[in-house]
Amino acid sequence: MIKAENLQKRVPMAGGELEILKGITLEIKSGESVAIIGASGSGKSTLLGLLAGLDEASGGRVVINDTDISALDEDQRALFRGREVGFVFQSFQLLPALTALENVMLPLELQGQNDARKQAQLFLERVELGPRVHHYPRQMSGGEQQRVAIARAFANSPAILFADEPTGNLDSTTGSHIVDLLFELNREQGTTLVLVTHDHALAARCQHRFRLDAGALVEGD
Amino acid sequence: MTATRMLARDWRGGELGVLVAALVLAVAVVSGISAFTTRLQTALEQESHRFLAADRVLRSGSELPADWLTEAEGRGLQTGQILTFPSMVYAGEENMVLASVKAVSSAYPLRGELRYSDEAFGPVLTATSVPEPGTVWLDSRLFPLLDIDIGARIAVGEAEFTVAAAARTEPDQGGSFLGFGPRVLMHYDDIAATGVVQPGSRVEYRQLYASDSPALLDAFVAWLRPQLAPGQRLLDVSDGQPGLGEALQRAESFLLLAGSLGVVLAGVAIALAARRFSERHNDYVAIMKSLGATSINITRLYGSSLFLLGAIATVLGCSLGWALQQSFFTLFGEQLPVQPGAAGLRPYAIGAATALVCLLCFAWPPLRRLSLASPLRVLRRDMPMEERRTLTDYAIGLAAVSGLMWWYSGDWKLTAAVLAGLAATVVLGLVLALTLLRGGRLVGMSAGSVWRLAFAGLQRRGTANALQVVIFAMAIMLLLVLLLVRTSLIDAWQTQLPENTPNHFALNIAPEEVQGVEQLLRARELPGAALSPMIRGRIVTVNGEDLPTREDAEEEGRRQREANFTWSDELPADNTLVQGQWWAFQSDAQEVSLEREFAERFGVVLGDRIGFQVGSEPFEATVTSIRELDWQSFNPNFWLVFPPRLLAPYPATFMTSFFLEPEQKPFLNQFIRSFPTVTVVEMDVVVAQVRGIITQVSAAVELVLAVIMAAGALVLVAGVQASVDARMHESSILRALGARRRLVLGGLLIEFAAMGLFAGLLATVAAELSVYILQAQVMGMQYAPSPWVWPVGIVVGTVLIAGLGVFSCRKVVSSPPLAVLREL
Repeated sequence: MIKAENLQKRVPMAGGELEILKGITLEIKSGESVAIIGASGSGKSTLLGLLAGLDEASGGRVVINDTDISALDEDQRALFRGREVGFVFQSFQLLPALTALENVMLPLELQGQNDARKQAQLFLERVELGPRVHHYPRQMSGGEQQRVAIARAFANSPAILFADEPTGNLDSTTGSHIVDLLFELNREQGTTLVLVTHDHALAARCQHRFRLDAGALVEGD
Repeated sequence: MTATRMLARDWRGGELGVLVAALVLAVAVVSGISAFTTRLQTALEQESHRFLAADRVLRSGSELPADWLTEAEGRGLQTGQILTFPSMVYAGEENMVLASVKAVSSAYPLRGELRYSDEAFGPVLTATSVPEPGTVWLDSRLFPLLDIDIGARIAVGEAEFTVAAAARTEPDQGGSFLGFGPRVLMHYDDIAATGVVQPGSRVEYRQLYASDSPALLDAFVAWLRPQLAPGQRLLDVSDGQPGLGEALQRAESFLLLAGSLGVVLAGVAIALAARRFSERHNDYVAIMKSLGATSINITRLYGSSLFLLGAIATVLGCSLGWALQQSFFTLFGEQLPVQPGAAGLRPYAIGAATALVCLLCFAWPPLRRLSLASPLRVLRRDMPMEERRTLTDYAIGLAAVSGLMWWYSGDWKLTAAVLAGLAATVVLGLVLALTLLRGGRLVGMSAGSVWRLAFAGLQRRGTANALQVVIFAMAIMLLLVLLLVRTSLIDAWQTQLPENTPNHFALNIAPEEVQGVEQLLRARELPGAALSPMIRGRIVTVNGEDLPTREDAEEEGRRQREANFTWSDELPADNTLVQGQWWAFQSDAQEVSLEREFAERFGVVLGDRIGFQVGSEPFEATVTSIRELDWQSFNPNFWLVFPPRLLAPYPATFMTSFFLEPEQKPFLNQFIRSFPTVTVVEMDVVVAQVRGIITQVSAAVELVLAVIMAAGALVLVAGVQASVDARMHESSILRALGARRRLVLGGLLIEFAAMGLFAGLLATVAAELSVYILQAQVMGMQYAPSPWVWPVGIVVGTVLIAGLGVFSCRKVVSSPPLAVLREL
């Protein structure tokens, strides 16, 4: 369960403070899939960053499975992320000098798992990249890179998966394959899925949607 | 992810090149130069021991206890004995000459080599043993004087000897050759047979000791010293200092300076490369953090990477350093007078320590902050990178540079001189660069598009560019400093021993022979010095107080002693007045001018009255000036100089020096037959040796200069690379917008050339400042401005930076813009 209470984000600017999020309150139950939609600059990615513990809020708090992550320091949040959270990004964010296998192994190694290689291999096979495990990101297409990113996100069986415009850099056919894969794995693993998107079709496949406008939640179901 | 894996992939990605190269170079320069100077020092120390013919020498005017030799041998030391005394040498009924006889034991010399030749003035050979009992070796000039050849019989005292060879050089014959008769070398066992040495004879006994173990030697000296009676004196290296000392000390200063500059340059290159490395790793860290890596994980990862990098660079650097000095000694070692000893492990320990300091102080600060990178960068790439606490970085870097230089050179003046130059570069540089860059923008506005682009670029990154200019200027300045010092150093050596440096001295020329000697030398077209007058006298009192005689003296320096006086109306060439005033022309005053060290040894200052004695006649003179001499000039030099009128009443002889080629040596036979009472001293072997050493040391200086140049180039490359990403990014956007190749490259060229120009100008000013301080304060040389360095500094700066800059950014016009953008 993810709970945001009166979540605020302000950044100092030359002429005063800029308010990016204006007191967001929302609740996402375990196992649900949720889409955050809104125009560019509405604060979607900022909200995702706060919910995932990548950033610090200016006010309010985020509680995930009874842990108040707003009260944690950066290192404690990192440990929390490693344990509970997986990510899929619009720009894939693979480490360019690591092979597909090494990229997937990374979060497992950070968790100190002994069978990282075996696990990573299994997940890459699950996203149908078995024969490409030793390829570098630059040797792969965008869709393939995103599949590696999905394998990496699910590798350490996270409770929650955050996805930031996961199809934003892909064509529609590849995008829809990626979305299928994402939802399939989500179901298999019983993961909570929180995604930010412009894509209404993608948003429609989620159980719930939140719409942001100028930093405020205007609509939700 | 392990550190090894990260390093391996960064290496593949080409990101570690400059960092590793800078680190390897720093270690190589430090360990190489340190090993080189250590080996050279051991060689010189052995060389100094050669001048004693042993490691320690005990000298006395009376017989020394034989027990002491037994004790030394019991302690595992090598020993030897020498006895010198004046004696007449006879050949047949008619010919006789007063000679200086030296009797040596079989082990002589314990250090250095004895040289002889098979005929008078013949080719010089190295002896493997001393003269056999019953035989003698004679000074070359004794052959014409006694009118004999090898194989002749001569008599010393009551004993007869066969002449077996010509004695050429002894390691411990010393720099002072004045007042000695020609040498007769015989075996120690023959002394008794001559019957010459009687109680009260004017003789000098020496016991020689040597050991490869300094500890054994020190223990023996500690045992011996308390037992020494007055008049028994223990000599060590400092007493046998070769004349080469100053030249080599300067070379060593230069090498240390070069090494220190190498470390500074490498340090800057490391700092720049590490900064770029950390900038490029910011995104990696953000991804790893989003995947759950804590700052401890990150710190540990980069810490161990750095440690691994340091270890690899230390091994590579030490190997390179070893190879550098080894190749030098392989190439030139044979020409060294003694074989250099081993350098030991210390230079490599210094190299490793340097790597550690460089990594901790230059590379670690930017990498340490990687752990602070925000994981939010995975969502927002435009997030500013972690605030760089650059001021702290610079402070740490500066402290490291100063510390390393001081530790390494052990010379705070040298460190201060370089730091002053660097400080001038930084302060002047930032002010000048910022002003000029701003001004340039205004000029550029009204210029054509290429210029506008260039100046807009310069101004937009104003602070970063100013910093870059300072870094370029620092590198160029350090290289110019080294170039300037090296040039004046080598010039100084060459002027010190020019071609045709006199290598023979003629002493005891009677006033009536002066004309004849001059004529003979002129007839043979032998270049030489003017004849100097010389009077043998004695120093007996200081301020009316009698000085102790040699036998009673408690201190070695302050006692009655003989010395050579000369007169002159003018301050002799090669002499520098350090205190007091030179006398007026044709002065009637009772004045004397002293050499500085001589005055110090006697504890005499300006205004003191010294009493002298020539023959049996005493006179007094007041010290009115103190001079410094260039003892290495191989010109006649005197401790004591008087006004001509003061010495006029006393009988004088004259001396001169002249240059002989090896094939002209037989001329000496004719010369000595024509002037049998004139003493000829051969210095040709010594002069040739000094010249040889100077040639090798010059080669070492050049080699080191080349290595440091490489370090400088590395800084320039690292400096250019530091801004390449930003410039490439902008240029590819311009390309995407349709800018032509010429516009993009032209803009880059002007931008880099302008920075190079500022940097070159700045570097030249700072280099002159540093060199002034270095030469005047550190190396004891005369400072002279070098006008040629101005165009060199400016042109080299402009061309080099412009070339490197455009070369590093060339990809922007050769690859599609998108490909370039994607890589950044």
